[in-house]
Amino acid sequence: MTDASTDAQLPLDRLLDRRAFLARTAALAATATVGTVALPGLAGLASAAPSDTSAPAVTFNPDLDRGAAYNKPRESAMSDPTEWTISEAAWMIRHNKIVPVELVQAYLDRITAYESTYQAFNVVLAEAAVKAARQWANRPHRGPLHGIPLAIKDNYFTEGVPTTANSYLFQDFVPPYDATSVAKLVVQGGIVLGKTQMGPLATTRATLPNGQVTTVNAWTPTNPSTNPGGSSTGTAPAVAGRLASSGIGTQTGGSITSPSNAQNLTGIKPTMGRVSLAGIVPLTYTRDHPGPLARDAKDAAIMLMAMAGPDPADPRSQGLPPVPNLINAATPRYDGDNLRMRWKTRIGVLPGYADGGSETAAARRAFLAEMSAIPECELVEVPFPDEWSLLTGSAFNNVRLPERSEPFMPYLRSDLRGFGVSVTSWLQGALLGANGWVTGQRAKLLLLDRILDQIFSSCDVVVQTSPVPFDIVGLPEIAFPIGFSGGGVPIGTILGGQPYAEDRLLSVAAAYQAVTDWHWRRPADPPAVDPSPTASTAAARSTAATPSRGRLTAEEVAELTQ
Amino acid sequence: MAPTPPTDDELNTFIVAQLASLGIDLNQLPAGTTADPVTGSPGRDSVLASLRSFMRSTVPALAAYQMPTPDAGDPATAMALSQQPAPVLYPSISTEWRKPR
Repeated sequence: MTDASTDAQLPLDRLLDRRAFLARTAALAATATVGTVALPGLAGLASAAPSDTSAPAVTFNPDLDRGAAYNKPRESAMSDPTEWTISEAAWMIRHNKIVPVELVQAYLDRITAYESTYQAFNVVLAEAAVKAARQWANRPHRGPLHGIPLAIKDNYFTEGVPTTANSYLFQDFVPPYDATSVAKLVVQGGIVLGKTQMGPLATTRATLPNGQVTTVNAWTPTNPSTNPGGSSTGTAPAVAGRLASSGIGTQTGGSITSPSNAQNLTGIKPTMGRVSLAGIVPLTYTRDHPGPLARDAKDAAIMLMAMAGPDPADPRSQGLPPVPNLINAATPRYDGDNLRMRWKTRIGVLPGYADGGSETAAARRAFLAEMSAIPECELVEVPFPDEWSLLTGSAFNNVRLPERSEPFMPYLRSDLRGFGVSVTSWLQGALLGANGWVTGQRAKLLLLDRILDQIFSSCDVVVQTSPVPFDIVGLPEIAFPIGFSGGGVPIGTILGGQPYAEDRLLSVAAAYQAVTDWHWRRPADPPAVDPSPTASTAAARSTAATPSRGRLTAEEVAELTQ
Repeated sequence: MAPTPPTDDELNTFIVAQLASLGIDLNQLPAGTTADPVTGSPGRDSVLASLRSFMRSTVPALAAYQMPTPDAGDPATAMALSQQPAPVLYPSISTEWRKPR
């Protein structure tokens, strides 16, 4: 016996999303033909200019263009465009107080003056950035990123612009298209000002591929031994040292949160899949996360909201919850003049987080005290989940290594020296058998379920004592400044959240930044040296290197690698 | 009875053979312990020492890990009853398809 409703029911195979399948197929076909495409020369620089040939998956997102994205600059910063956050620069551009080319030129002037000290960039696209800025000035307003100069880590594909991942292996690689994230930033009006220095193949702090230290911490430019954070190293001094409004990096083992904490920035590593990995040189495919390094929570929200969302070229980004309005989330909430949490929030505090007599511990205690004074914020003690040290320790962290060796097999067979100082962890990955790798994948689910059950059953966000555990399971993290050492080096902290809880994390950082001013502080300008050519390149740098900055050995890199 | 741990020579032979089976020739690297002054690539002996350490630490630690088993009294019964966590490449993403519908 049947009825009308059962007669009308279709078999599930008729309900597949055929359009999405076709889009995926097209994207894969495009990727597969990369090797046979005639690559444009440097003169193309299409990624830095508004283009009608962006990848079809990338469309303008009008949801960024909301009032909360714009803030009038602080009086103290009004006279210097390089002091402005994205939100402040966007306000000035929207109100016709400045045109994009003036903003770009202000940053180029600082690059000319200080880049030879910071060594933040692999390449600066001065001419193309000015051209793009002029074009944006004559186009309809695109939102808060309209005409904003950005620093892009050199493992993101940029059409027609060398993308080296700071490795000998990619030193001549010129991608024929933009990474999805880059294309999304550009379509929102962002301007690619340059490609930033990074740890070779995203492994350590930025060095030349042979280990020679390049990039310094913007807060101690004359002391290269101060950790600048890695591997998104160059993006950090570019943003902190006011060589770019904001920037992007990637994180596999702390590579966004570490340089953000080291250089007084607000960086967010989103949930795995929230931002497409298409068009990024891989390090560890289950743990690579793209995300912004910004000057405050609002800027991080603007950047992440532009980058996030489904991408047919990356199945990890599909089928996830919709991206909420992160800009609203990063806007402090007030009842009258009284700050409140945007959402009632319990901050989980892990054992030992603020213990001891160190400056970091003191800053952490002050941070917790500040948060607990905000209405609707509560601190709760949470335990380390069962077997925390084991499941997040060295052996289980090393389960990631075959993921870097497998896609690099052609290079491992033909050019071991092309890996420079970074080769060891690729060889380790090739030695780890499938048994151990499968055990590691089982342990990841076990670890995640314990985090959800034993930590997040009693809190909404949790302090982190290391970025690695949440990198292993793909949970989001936000890093932001909470003080300075006596030597003037920034101290930061990291909060972790539940899957897709970037909005919650941003809301907490925004509330904290509403009652503190650490994030407004900028490093002093470095001592004057001979100006560098704005089109400096890693290749040029390798012949005019700075030996006094030191050199990492292969043995050190094997220990430090992300 | 636990097998005798491999010697340095045995591990060297295994490492070189395993990599060779994948098509990777360690002879691409400089001989000895001195790094290539241009690329910074480590010497073969240095790499072998690091890889031996990896084989003696990470590999046995992962092999020795015992996933949680149900509380069944008899360990043999517990092991037999064990339904181990599914291997999941992307655990955070899995929360989306594991949600109650």
